[in-house]
Amino acid sequence: MKTKKQKRQGDFQKIQLKVGKKKPKADNATNVNFRSKAIHLPEQLKHADSGPTTHRQLDIKDLLSKLHHINSNIKQGALVGLRELLSAQPTLIELHASAVLSEVAALFTDKDGSVRAAAVRLLRFIAQCISAERVAPFFPLLSAHLTCAMTHISEAIQEDALRVLDVLLEHYPGLLSQRHTVLLTNFLELISQKRKAGTGQDKSGKGGFALTISTNRSVTAQQWRLTVLLRLGSFLQAVVEERPLEEGVTSMIGLGMWAGEKGSVTSVDVSWEEHVFGKGRIQVFENSGAVPTPHSTYRLRPDSKAVAGMNKELCSAETVQGFAGTLVPLMLEIWVEAAGGDRVQTDSGHLLSAEAMALMFQILTILQLLRRLTPQRDQQDILDAWFRNSYLTDFKHHFMKNFPYGLLEVARHRKKADGKRQQQVATGTVAGGNVEPLALNVTLCQVMVTLSLRGQDHVEAEDADWLGTIRVFIRETLSNGGKLSSKHLAALLEVVWRMIVTQRSRGEAGFLYFFFFNKGLLNLKCSFSLSFRSRILARWLASLPVQLVQLCSRNPQLSAQLLETIHPAAARGNKDLLQSLQKNACSIYDPQEGSVVVLPVESQKRLVQILHFLPTFPAELLACLSQVCNTGRVSASLATMLIRTIHLRSPLSGWSSSSQDVPVKDVDYLSFFFTTLTGFSSEMLQALQDTDEDGLMPSSTLSPLSVFTTTLEQFLHHWDVVEEVCHCLDTLGSRAQCFDVIQNAIIKNLCGLVVVPDCVCAAILRCVPRLLDVNFLPSDTLLHFLSDCCLSMLSLLLQLEQSARKRDAVWEACFAAMSTVPRLLRLVLQSLHVGDLCEEELPVLAQILSLLLQHTQLRNHMMANASLLQHIIQDLTHFYGGETREQWLTDLLYCYSVTLSGHRANMGMRDIY
Amino acid sequence: MSAPVEVVLSADSAGQLFNCAVFDPHSGSEFLSYRGGNTSSRSLTVLNGEYILGAQLGKNFINVWEIQRKDQLQQKIVCPGIVTCLCASPDGLYVLAGIAEAIYLWEMSTGNLLAILSRHYQDVSCIRFTDDSSHFVSGGKDNLALIWNLSSVVQLDSSRTPEPCHILSRHSLPITDIHCGLMGPQARVATASLDQTVKVWEVSSGEMLLSVLFDVGIMSVTFDPCEYFLFCGGSDGNIFQVSLCSTSLSRDKTFQTDSDGNQVFKGHRNLVTCLSVSMDGTLLLSGSNDETVRMWDVQSKQCIWSINHKGHVTNAVIIPAPANMFLADSHPAVPLPRFSRHLNPSEQGDGTGSGGMCLRLGASTQHFGLKTTDFKPLKCNRQQKRTHFACF
Repeated sequence: MKTKKQKRQGDFQKIQLKVGKKKPKADNATNVNFRSKAIHLPEQLKHADSGPTTHRQLDIKDLLSKLHHINSNIKQGALVGLRELLSAQPTLIELHASAVLSEVAALFTDKDGSVRAAAVRLLRFIAQCISAERVAPFFPLLSAHLTCAMTHISEAIQEDALRVLDVLLEHYPGLLSQRHTVLLTNFLELISQKRKAGTGQDKSGKGGFALTISTNRSVTAQQWRLTVLLRLGSFLQAVVEERPLEEGVTSMIGLGMWAGEKGSVTSVDVSWEEHVFGKGRIQVFENSGAVPTPHSTYRLRPDSKAVAGMNKELCSAETVQGFAGTLVPLMLEIWVEAAGGDRVQTDSGHLLSAEAMALMFQILTILQLLRRLTPQRDQQDILDAWFRNSYLTDFKHHFMKNFPYGLLEVARHRKKADGKRQQQVATGTVAGGNVEPLALNVTLCQVMVTLSLRGQDHVEAEDADWLGTIRVFIRETLSNGGKLSSKHLAALLEVVWRMIVTQRSRGEAGFLYFFFFNKGLLNLKCSFSLSFRSRILARWLASLPVQLVQLCSRNPQLSAQLLETIHPAAARGNKDLLQSLQKNACSIYDPQEGSVVVLPVESQKRLVQILHFLPTFPAELLACLSQVCNTGRVSASLATMLIRTIHLRSPLSGWSSSSQDVPVKDVDYLSFFFTTLTGFSSEMLQALQDTDEDGLMPSSTLSPLSVFTTTLEQFLHHWDVVEEVCHCLDTLGSRAQCFDVIQNAIIKNLCGLVVVPDCVCAAILRCVPRLLDVNFLPSDTLLHFLSDCCLSMLSLLLQLEQSARKRDAVWEACFAAMSTVPRLLRLVLQSLHVGDLCEEELPVLAQILSLLLQHTQLRNHMMANASLLQHIIQDLTHFYGGETREQWLTDLLYCYSVTLSGHRANMGMRDIY
Repeated sequence: MSAPVEVVLSADSAGQLFNCAVFDPHSGSEFLSYRGGNTSSRSLTVLNGEYILGAQLGKNFINVWEIQRKDQLQQKIVCPGIVTCLCASPDGLYVLAGIAEAIYLWEMSTGNLLAILSRHYQDVSCIRFTDDSSHFVSGGKDNLALIWNLSSVVQLDSSRTPEPCHILSRHSLPITDIHCGLMGPQARVATASLDQTVKVWEVSSGEMLLSVLFDVGIMSVTFDPCEYFLFCGGSDGNIFQVSLCSTSLSRDKTFQTDSDGNQVFKGHRNLVTCLSVSMDGTLLLSGSNDETVRMWDVQSKQCIWSINHKGHVTNAVIIPAPANMFLADSHPAVPLPRFSRHLNPSEQGDGTGSGGMCLRLGASTQHFGLKTTDFKPLKCNRQQKRTHFACF
């Protein structure tokens, strides 16, 4: 006991602290007497080949190796470090592309969300730095990982896979679109699952896939589908755009002109055919119902891993049909679900949520893109027909039921505003989440209109109901559409164009077009300068002249509207329009069935005015125009205007001195005027030589030419035209040269003729004295021809009953010619051989002579030929054997004596003074 | 002989004898002629009574003569393109030139290019100022005529592109000629066109007051100073006189000759390209492509005299005789500056040289009919300050 107590005291010995003594140290006191020194090992940190490092002194190898670390924080840190390193040293990317890409791609399926996000960020950064060509070798790997992620069992990974897809779509659309075989299936599986073989077909009969609904996603099923469809849409867009463009792929006003063509990076190599005929499990995808098609042998996932045969294009109708057969039923289901909530509503509450609207818009966009997958026109037609056969009823039922969806825009705008926020959560970075109702409706119109077929009457009757709805919609949109954007306007244009094409035979579509012009073009005209830049409008403008030709006289109102658009565009020098106009000028101004002759007067006038803006006038166009002037189907005043226009455009007129280009060549100009002057083409004249119609007057001594009498109407029309031609030729610079040209033309073309139309004679007789220069001596050949003309016309007038106006016109021309060219009168008198005349012709001759004598202006010239005249009259009295003096002879002798006496009296007077 | 009050200035496209010449309006005798080159249509203008400017036909420069030194071509202003029409403002502060589709505006005191207006779609065929220089009207081959407010065009606010105050778009074929009446912003403007009409418009509102339809395309148009008559030169060589005092109320009418004022002057044989009426309204001058210039008595419709040129008459105008024209030893008060060829919105004069500054109207200070030009440029230039003030 004692010892125990002692022992205890030993344990707890009390230490006496005393003043002046040092305090003993405790046993556990730390000895602080050591000194530390840092150890520097610079040689070790500095590798011989060490590249640049991050701020944590990790180089790329360390980072890459850390990506395999089990700890997700370390993986994420490594990804961040990689980004830092690569952005600091861009050259490293090129060097380590394969390693980096493969490691990063492997992390697409990482189970930790933050790692995946970092991987996507890194991928986005890398994609900015590496061009598509350089990434192409690694792309199979990337896409394999992408596929892996897309089909991953975890839904969060699926969602992030779409982000990856976004990045790839943004930077490598060309490469991605080559992978569509796999990707398209993946898309389907994202929103649906394969039906069990047994249940799939008999339950709903809607293809082999059924929509899935998962309850544990962070977003609603609708939002999820929207995000998927958005990606699918942009993916298809990439496929369509990255296809190498071919000639003729772009249709007249093709779909999506405004989308613009990007330079295609790589060609699209697709192995659809391969898969179609490949071996493996066969899944038959039924389309929407009753009629199973034989073409549905497309398998979404082939077993054969033949990627080598990537040389076929995704362009045949069958392959597209195969895919569409699966996709469209799904989309219809989605549509029904999206619209489903609204079905019970009346129109006061008939609101589509912004989300549903976006979903619907996406569906329609995909439908459009599906159609565009086939570039060739014939294939497209096949596809259209297939769509129509398979889905028209469905589309009609679902799409058109509540159409138009833009009835309550005010309410929807409000709705849209808060819907947008939600959507941005759902769709992430992808734009296009908010959709205007107008865009939805217009796209719906576009989709539906492609289903209408052309040229089949019974089909048209069938379609009338829903086409009517669309028509009403377009009409309303245009009539209150003050703020249609150019994109929507272009889309509407296209819809209307398509309707016109398919429904050409029906007046209704024409009316719509007409209406469209009235309303829509007001917009256009307001923003004319702006819209000129838009390619679709340029194309549309360029198509107007073609339409004008095609319309012919069928719809004069519509033609007038067309012209109303063409005229200002031509005046403002729109290049596309002018080119097209130039190309079609010959058909528009065709003298037989061109618009210029078949349309009403107002339109004719416009056409003539438009002529002023044509860049050039080739010879064949001038030939057409010359005939237009002369066929009498345009009024004389309009013909005059036409001639003036051409005169003004020619450099010879001296008006447009500043322009360097020559719209009308001088040669063409002169031939135009000569042809217009004669009024008959050389073929027509040639044909006249051989005919023997009753309008023909045989040639005789008094009428050396056999004259073909034209109708009074034609003659007067031509007379007016000749007046203008003479005036234009008159104002040309050098009269002598001009006359020389005309003289040569007459000698070459007309002098040999036996049968001459009377209007040609009159025209020649009229133009020669007007154009003749005082100092110019006309050639003998011309004068002989003229004297023949003169005599023939005079005797024609006296023998046949003619209207007063025609007679006056011809007399005036003859007398003017003879008084201007005295030699002509002499030649005429010389050619009167009284001895050759028969009895009946003598009175005619006498009448001619008395006419000549009575004309005051000719009197002096007659006196100059007094001896010749005297000789003729002597012969005349000599040959006329009748006993009684006829009236005509008395008249002639009276005229003769008056003329002579007057002359003598004058002489006498002169002698007197 | 005392100096005449008015003179005739005319030019032709050949330029054999002279580029342009000055004649006595009463006798047709030649006073002076200016040599060198030839002048294109509607591009001969007198600047400030001290210089004659004429755009060379088919070339991209403008010939300049001092008005008293007739023989010597003073200088050439090189332009960015072929000048199709040219007009100096009546106050001598600005020069406008139509170069292809665009209108160029130079300030005379500095030579700066103030604005390039490209609102026409095709070549500009004619430009005219109102008599107070507050507005100008341009007509083009795109069937449009535009009325511009000068102060809104020259303002410094470079963010807004200047817009015309009115667009006259009722013609259906190219516009050939424009004439501005008197009375500044209250003036009336007549436009002639190949579509066979002449239309009269109001500058202030841009409304069409009258449209007269003829049988032929109209190549030139003018008013007399009282605006009793409208004279229209046709493409067939006739000059049509339209009475503006008629009582009929319709805005569209067709020209017919009658006893009360609607008459025809006959004599020319080709396009009548220019017309001008004297200050007192008794004489009408016409130039034509038949290479003659004719002076007509308006009252009796007779040709008083005619002068033969050697080519198409491109310009013929009756102007008040400039004071310097007949004083051989006079000098222009202002030396002509170098015309800049490029638009520079920041004035290069700010930092360099004399340190001058340029004041112009701001956007908010435009008033209708405001006279912007009460300061003469010569004072500013004398002091070598490239300044001109606007009077707000």
